[in-house]
Amino acid sequence: MKRALTSLLLALAAVPLSAGEATLLRGGRVVPVSGPALEKGDVLIVDGRIAAIGASIAAPAGARVVDVAGRHVYPGLIDGLNTLGLTEISSVAGSVDVAETGDVNPHAKAWIAVHPHSDLIPVARAAGLTHVLSAPGGGLVSGQSALIRLAGSTPASLVAKAPAAMHVVYPSGRGGFDLAQMFAEPELKTFDERQKERRKNQDKALARLAELLARAKAHAAAQAAATAGQAAAPELDLAMEALAPAARGEVPVVFRADAEDDIRGALAFAARHGLKPIVAGGLEAWRCTDELKAKGAAVLANVDRLPRREGDAYDAAYTNVLALHRAGVPFAIVTNDPSNARNLPFEAAMARAFGLPAEAALRAITLSPAEIFGVADSLGSLEVGKSASLFVASGDPMDHRTTVSHVFVDGVEQSLETRHTRLYRQFKDRP
Amino acid sequence: MNALLLCALLAAAPAAGETTAIVGATVLTVSKAGNLDKATVLIRDGRIAAVGADVTVPAGAKVIDGAGRFVMPGIIDAHSHAAIEDNVNECTDVVTAQVRIADVIDHRDVNLYRQLAGGVTAINVLHGSCNAIGGQNAVLKLRWGVDDPAQLVFAEAPRGIKFALGENPKRANFSAPGPRRYPATRMGVAEVIREAFLEAKAYRREWQQHEKKKAAGRGAIAPVPPRRDLRLETIADILDGKVLIHAHCYRSDEILMLIGLAEELGFKVRTFQHVLEGYKVASEIAKHGAGASTFSDWWAFKLEAHDAIPFNAAVLHSKGVVVSLNSDSNELARRLYWEAAKAVRYGGVPEQEALKMITLNPAWQLGVDHLVGSIEAGKQADLAVFSAHPFSPDARVEMTLVDGVVRFDRAQDLAARSAATAAGGAQ
Repeated sequence: MKRALTSLLLALAAVPLSAGEATLLRGGRVVPVSGPALEKGDVLIVDGRIAAIGASIAAPAGARVVDVAGRHVYPGLIDGLNTLGLTEISSVAGSVDVAETGDVNPHAKAWIAVHPHSDLIPVARAAGLTHVLSAPGGGLVSGQSALIRLAGSTPASLVAKAPAAMHVVYPSGRGGFDLAQMFAEPELKTFDERQKERRKNQDKALARLAELLARAKAHAAAQAAATAGQAAAPELDLAMEALAPAARGEVPVVFRADAEDDIRGALAFAARHGLKPIVAGGLEAWRCTDELKAKGAAVLANVDRLPRREGDAYDAAYTNVLALHRAGVPFAIVTNDPSNARNLPFEAAMARAFGLPAEAALRAITLSPAEIFGVADSLGSLEVGKSASLFVASGDPMDHRTTVSHVFVDGVEQSLETRHTRLYRQFKDRP
Repeated sequence: MNALLLCALLAAAPAAGETTAIVGATVLTVSKAGNLDKATVLIRDGRIAAVGADVTVPAGAKVIDGAGRFVMPGIIDAHSHAAIEDNVNECTDVVTAQVRIADVIDHRDVNLYRQLAGGVTAINVLHGSCNAIGGQNAVLKLRWGVDDPAQLVFAEAPRGIKFALGENPKRANFSAPGPRRYPATRMGVAEVIREAFLEAKAYRREWQQHEKKKAAGRGAIAPVPPRRDLRLETIADILDGKVLIHAHCYRSDEILMLIGLAEELGFKVRTFQHVLEGYKVASEIAKHGAGASTFSDWWAFKLEAHDAIPFNAAVLHSKGVVVSLNSDSNELARRLYWEAAKAVRYGGVPEQEALKMITLNPAWQLGVDHLVGSIEAGKQADLAVFSAHPFSPDARVEMTLVDGVVRFDRAQDLAARSAATAAGGAQ
C-alpha cells in the first residue's frame, strides 16, 4: 500500500497532463502480484506503460476512462513454455513450424516463424494471456525461443525478447513415442540389454552435445580473433555462431527433461559446461529439489499430467510445484499447449487445490516466468513504469467461472473476438 | 505402489445391511431437489436410502463427517480408454463389430485408481476409432480393489459399440506399412457402414427363416442352422435395439451422413462422440434423439477439429440435446469436474445443468440413468466428496464411493504414503 502510494506520487509527477494515449482503469480490485492487492484502486496507463496505481487517480485530460468497479485487474498471464505461433493444426504438417529436420538446429529461431495471424493467438489472449514463450522443439538442439507478445501484425512486432533461451532435448536414451514402432516387429531384448543400449545412446548424444558446445566457443573465439585482425575469418558456420552465446552461459539453456535421472543429468551437464540451465517438463522435479536448488535452476512445469511411475502418488504431478515452492526453487507453471494455452490459470488452480498457496500459484503464471526469462523489469506484475500488459476479469482467474472483459498488451486494448466467438455467433441461433 | 497397497485397505465389500451416512455436507443432488445445505446422504446395501436435511441416522451406522464438504453424484466418463492399454484398436479391418473390450480389461490399471481420485465412478471404455464400425464397449464401475476384471463390469448397462467417421477410419493421419486400407475417404466410410448393415439384415433374415422352420418342426431332419457370424450378429443386434451406437465424429457433414444412414437402414445413434461441430447441426441431432458426448475445449489438433468451439456443449444443450463432457484421456478424466465448469464459462450453462453433463447425462447416454447419475433415494450410491464446490479452484476430491463402498479416501492414501516412507519403501 505504502509502495503503491509512493509509486502514485512519483508517477503523477512524471505524467504530462496532456498525455496522448492515456487510459484510466477506475475503481477495480488491483492485484499487482508483486505486492498486496488494493481493494479499490485505479490503474493509469500512459503510452503503453503503467503510469500510476492508487486510489482516486485523476484522469489526465483526454484519457479514456474504463469503469472496472466490481472487477479485478491482474498483470497479463505469461505461459513460459509453448509453441504458439509456430503451429496451427498439429496434425497438418504444412501448418507446423516447430521442429527443424536434423538434430542440431541452434540457428532455428522462433521469432522468424511465429505467425502473427494465427487463429490460436486471439484464443489465448482472450483468457488474459499477454505473453508466451514460443519455443522450437525436437532433435537434440531444437533452436532458440522468443518471448512473444500476443499482439501485433508482423513477426517483429510480436517479439518481446529474442532470444529468450536455447532449447535442448536432454538425451535420455529413452525412445520417444514412435508410430512406426507400433507396426514394427518387436525386438526381443532383455531389460539389461535395453538399459545398456540406452546408456550407450545417451553417452554418445551427451558427448556430441559437449563437442558442439566446445566447437561453438572455438568458432566464436576464431571470429573474435578475425575481427581483431589477428587471424583469418573462420569458415561460415551459422549453427555454431548461434550456439555460442548459450555455450558461454550468456543465454539460458532450457533442457527438456522429465525423469529424475534426466533432470539430474541435465543439471550436472550444465554445471560441467558452464551453462545456465532451466528445466522444462520437470515431471519428477520434486525428486531432485536439492540439486535444482544447489544449481540455481528454474523449472517450467505442467501441472495437469499423469505421474511418471505407476507407483507414484496419484497427485505427484499436482504437488510437484508445491515441492519446488517449499524448497525455494524458482518455477513457472506452463501449458506447453498452443491451442489451449488459455487453460494456463487452471493448471495453476490444480496446483493450488493440492496445496500451493493461491498467491504463489498466480505468481507462477505472471511474475515468475518474467523473472526466469529476464523480463521482470517490464512484465509480470502491475508496477509503475512496467508495461501495461494486463487484464480485467470478473473474479479470480483460476476459477473457471470467471470471465475476462478487457485485455491490454503494452497499453493497447485487444479485441476479445476469436475464431470461436465468431463461429458461436454464426451458429447459436440456427434453427 | 501406494495405490496397490490401498487396494488391500479398501477392497473389503460392505456386509449386507451395512449402513453409512455422510452427514452435514452440501449435497449437489443433480435432481429436482437441487442443492441441499447441511444435508445427510444415507446409504444402505450400496444404495442411497435417503437424502435430505432431516434424515435421521440410524444407530450403528458408519458416519462420514461431511461438514464443509460438497457431495455430488459420482462422475461418469462417457469416453474412456482406461484399463485396456495397447488394446484400444483392432485396426486390421474396417468393420470389427465382433471384438469386445470386455475381453481385455486390466482391473489393476492404476489409472482406474487415479480417476477414482478425481471423483469418477463409472467409465464407458470404448474401442478406438480405427474402423468405421469398431468393437463393443464395456461400461465399468471403478470398484478398485476387486481381483477379477468381470467384477468391474457395470452389469446393468446395455451393450454398446463404437463407430467412427472422418479422418481416423479413413486413416488420414497415419502411415502404416503396406497397402492402404479401404476406405480412404468419407465416401468410403459411408459405404462401409451401409454395406455392413445390409449384410446384417440379410443375415438376420436367414436366421429368422431358420427359426421359423425349426419352430414349424416339419420333416424328419432338423433344419441346418446358418453359419454363425459374430460380426454380423452384433450389427443385427444394433438393428434390434440391443446395442447402443457411440459414434466418433467431428464434422457436421459426417454427422448428417450417419443420421441419414440411420434413417435409411433403421437404426438409432445413441451418442455422437467428440461431435466437435455438433453445434452446427444441433437441431438435427436433437431430432434424431441422439446424445452428444464432447470435449469441453479441445480443438486445432486435426483439420476436422479446426472449427471446434468451447461453446459446443452450451449450443447443443440449448437445442435439447443430452450433452456429456468426456475425457478420452487418462489424464483429463481426473478433472472432469472442471471440464463441466467450462460449460458455465463458455455459453453460460446453469451450474446444475453443467454438473449433469458429467453425471446424469452420460448416465442416460449409457442407458443407466435409472441407476446412477444423481443423488436420489433408490439409486446406487456412487458419490464423490469434495473439499469445496467442485467448480471452485480449491476443489479437491476427498473421498469416492462406488455402490456405497469407499474406494478412494485421500486421508487413507496420505496415511499409506507416510507408512510406506516410514518403512523405507517410498521408492
